[in-house]
Amino acid sequence: MENLKKTPLFDEHIKLNAKIVPFAGCQMPIQYTGIIDEHKAVRENVGIFDVSHMGEFFVEGEDSLALLQKIVPQDISKLSLSKAVYCQLTNKNGGIIDDLIIYKLDDEKYLLIVNASRIDEDFNWIVSNKDNLNVDIKNASDDYAMIALQGKYSAKIIEETGLSEDNQPKRFSIKETRIDSIDVFVARTGYTGEDGFEIIASTDNIVYLWNKFLEIGSKYNIKPIGLGARDTLRLEAGMLLYGQDIDENTTPIEASLNWSVPKDKIEDYNGKNAISSQINNGTDKKLIGIKMIDRAIPRHDYEIYFNGKEVGKVTSGGVAPSLNANIAMGYVNNSLNFSTGDKINIKIRNKFYSAEIVRMPFLKYLR
Amino acid sequence: MQAPDGILCAKTHEYLLQKDSVYKFGITDYAVEQLGDIVFVEMPEVGTEFEKGEILGTIESVKAASELYMPANGKIVEINETLIDNPELVNNSPYEDGWIVKIETEDEKALNALMEYEDYQEFIEE
Repeated sequence: MENLKKTPLFDEHIKLNAKIVPFAGCQMPIQYTGIIDEHKAVRENVGIFDVSHMGEFFVEGEDSLALLQKIVPQDISKLSLSKAVYCQLTNKNGGIIDDLIIYKLDDEKYLLIVNASRIDEDFNWIVSNKDNLNVDIKNASDDYAMIALQGKYSAKIIEETGLSEDNQPKRFSIKETRIDSIDVFVARTGYTGEDGFEIIASTDNIVYLWNKFLEIGSKYNIKPIGLGARDTLRLEAGMLLYGQDIDENTTPIEASLNWSVPKDKIEDYNGKNAISSQINNGTDKKLIGIKMIDRAIPRHDYEIYFNGKEVGKVTSGGVAPSLNANIAMGYVNNSLNFSTGDKINIKIRNKFYSAEIVRMPFLKYLR
Repeated sequence: MQAPDGILCAKTHEYLLQKDSVYKFGITDYAVEQLGDIVFVEMPEVGTEFEKGEILGTIESVKAASELYMPANGKIVEINETLIDNPELVNNSPYEDGWIVKIETEDEKALNALMEYEDYQEFIEE
């Protein structure tokens, strides 16, 4: 693990007895007390996550909007001041280079939060799309660190740092403010399906904020949450994981992300032809949600069968601790026109287990 | 965690513990610690015979599925049915309530090749 990066919170994780694993070139906590325990803490109370490994880019200048319009299918012209939107960086074929959140800081300044494993790839790609546009693209990933506070008491904790309820950003918004004279971005976004915040601050100040949140949060039974529970939480919430559920060989339409691809966007963007054609004519494969009927756990790469034929593969799967179920998502052959309630089989260790297609997010429809 | 006296451990982190004429089979406290929350145990049918090294079942944590290897030629004579609804017993009590199956074996050669707990501790520290 010598060549791996450490986040500025590494020593705090060690103090909290975290089990450390390599992830996206970084030494990250996979769990502290246990994945199920941590998962439930977020669903029932509040959890704190170190997400400093993620990337922060600033796009600034009079052509910021023009650049962003070129690189994502989302219509950034409709994004209001201080709002956030989920989108994808697409290549010329409509394949997903990364998924990200874009925050509008002002008319000529945007913050992009990207996946840790894709920072360099994304940055080079965005720069290669700059052409003659008057825009500055800055990779600030080493200057900033990020903490996520997720769960129903997260707003209380933010309130007690001095940001009253009225002054907190609303859902899918961001606010530049100060906590104890430290400059922070407070965004009301996350990767768990719960109400929550992501707090972005300079790497020098992040340890202070981490301990402050833990201290305030102690009366709400706050727990530090590792990557293990981050994965089970996002799966229940039906959120995709880059590199596993989506990659350059999947488009947003194949990944059932149609809700993030407006049909009426005027501007051209990378992959627009391929994506528009898929919207109109359909796709060969489609991401679906799966709930096991038999008692068995579906996992990454397990085959999906229908009427005795292989029709696809699981991309993410596992136990859903808050749903008392085993769930998965995966791509299936779209020509079979699957719909909710259809019965399929998952091949696990050479045996076939019964499952059904369900709507996502699982958390909303199965809870 | 205190392992019971007389325990025999495999390099693949299963244990055998003699109880009357049969052996209790489970996974060691070290394996439990490494796997984390156990959420599912797939066990063979009673009466199945396995050779040493064959896969007799699977234990699944939140993170991954791991195979259970037969430590000696023998026959499954009982399975721990309480694990079907309470797989977490393996976490809480790997040597007592969290045993997985009971095995009948006369495979002295394989039994002699297993490690005593102290030697196993040295093995996992390597």
